[in-house]
Amino acid sequence: MTGLDLFQGFGDTVSTVLKSIVPIVTFFVIFQLIYLRLPWRYLARIFFGVGIAVAGIALFLQGVKTGFYPAGSEIGTFLGAIRLKWLLIPFGVLMGFLATFGEPAVRVLGYQVEKASGGSIRRSLVLYGISFGVALFVGLGMARIVWGIPLNYIVIPGYILAIILMFASDKTAVSIAFDSGGVATGPMAVTFLLAVAVGITSSIEGRDPVVDGFGLISLIALAPILFIMLAGLYLKIRLKRRGEQNGNG
Amino acid sequence: MLRVIKEITLEVFQAILPLTLGVLAINFMFIRMPAPVLIQFIFGAVMVIGGMILFLLGVRLGILPMGEAVGSELPKRRFVPYILAVAFLVGFSVTVAEPDVMVLSDQVNTVSGGSISNTLLVGVIAIGVGFFVAAAILRIILGFPITYMLAAGYTAIIILSFFTPPEFVPVAFDAGGVTTGPVTVPVILALGIGFSSVLAGRSTLGDGFGLIGLASIGPVIGVMLMGVILY
Repeated sequence: MTGLDLFQGFGDTVSTVLKSIVPIVTFFVIFQLIYLRLPWRYLARIFFGVGIAVAGIALFLQGVKTGFYPAGSEIGTFLGAIRLKWLLIPFGVLMGFLATFGEPAVRVLGYQVEKASGGSIRRSLVLYGISFGVALFVGLGMARIVWGIPLNYIVIPGYILAIILMFASDKTAVSIAFDSGGVATGPMAVTFLLAVAVGITSSIEGRDPVVDGFGLISLIALAPILFIMLAGLYLKIRLKRRGEQNGNG
Repeated sequence: MLRVIKEITLEVFQAILPLTLGVLAINFMFIRMPAPVLIQFIFGAVMVIGGMILFLLGVRLGILPMGEAVGSELPKRRFVPYILAVAFLVGFSVTVAEPDVMVLSDQVNTVSGGSISNTLLVGVIAIGVGFFVAAAILRIILGFPITYMLAAGYTAIIILSFFTPPEFVPVAFDAGGVTTGPVTVPVILALGIGFSSVLAGRSTLGDGFGLIGLASIGPVIGVMLMGVILY
């Protein structure tokens, strides 16, 4: 690569983004014409917003393509070539933690859980719990890449555990848990970690980038689901115990 | 308005900065990326931050009000097939506009050397979301317990995963994760909460929640089926 090419292929990016916004805008316009009949001023504001969103996604995607992919695959290639392969695991743990700890959605979820549990599950517990949970799972994801373990061997037991926990938990805990699956799969996780994982698989012999490089996002989505239900169960057991104590005394 | 911009800016910096600084630290301690890659990474991070701020602002100003307008109109009609069709279209069109979905399909397209096309993957993911959003709305109407539906969806995924060609399994599972992005989540939540608050006798909290969880089952099943059919 010679020099900077920050806006290489920008036309393609813009056309992708414009195409992606067509269905929702068409759908809305049809709805507007038939039923909604919102005032013009309000419509103008909505379309101004859509315009800003389009510009934003285009800039975002361009930054990801020209900045994050090359750096991610550079780091991945470097990591895949080191001799002590197990070092990838602590690296994954660190990256998983950094990607989650800052994620605003995780903080919002913490607030939501604190409210729903009447303050007995603190929001800091949710923040740290999910961050460490994701860190652990990204570490597992790296171990999977290093030793070529099929994703099924990790995800399927995780899903089975989730189904078991589901029947032991309250309905509210289940709903919040499954909705929160996506909180940690923010833009950094999806763009950067994916590029790193694909880079690693391309420099370890015998790994197929399609089979081994993908899968991290699903692990990142699984961690909060399991954590929220476990926290809910812990709360349920504690409340029950307290109820029994009160009953005896 | 100014307060919203400030809020969004703070959020975006919180989300992007830690990992960016972590990467820079790793770079200076161990790796030493070539200078152009490093400089592009820094400029890329600036573009990503600026892009995210603009995008989230646009979602608040434009995309969310569109979703809410449609969502509040929906329960006024009492014709179930119509409601389900609109729910499907909302789920579908919102997913097509989701940046995380574009990033994943772009990566898959590049890595697979074009054998899994961009448009096809985005289409399948969006159909999966649309289908499950409609199913979730039907669940609210019928009052069917969410736990059973989640359990059924997850069991279907587990069973399907044994028949799916190995190169589709990781992409399928990842597809479930990317649909829960900044466009999809607020619009689908607004749809569900608005909808269940209009139906009498349903608790808003219990019924409105769970929609996102259900919506993310759809793409996994969709991509797995695509793998089974294509290969």
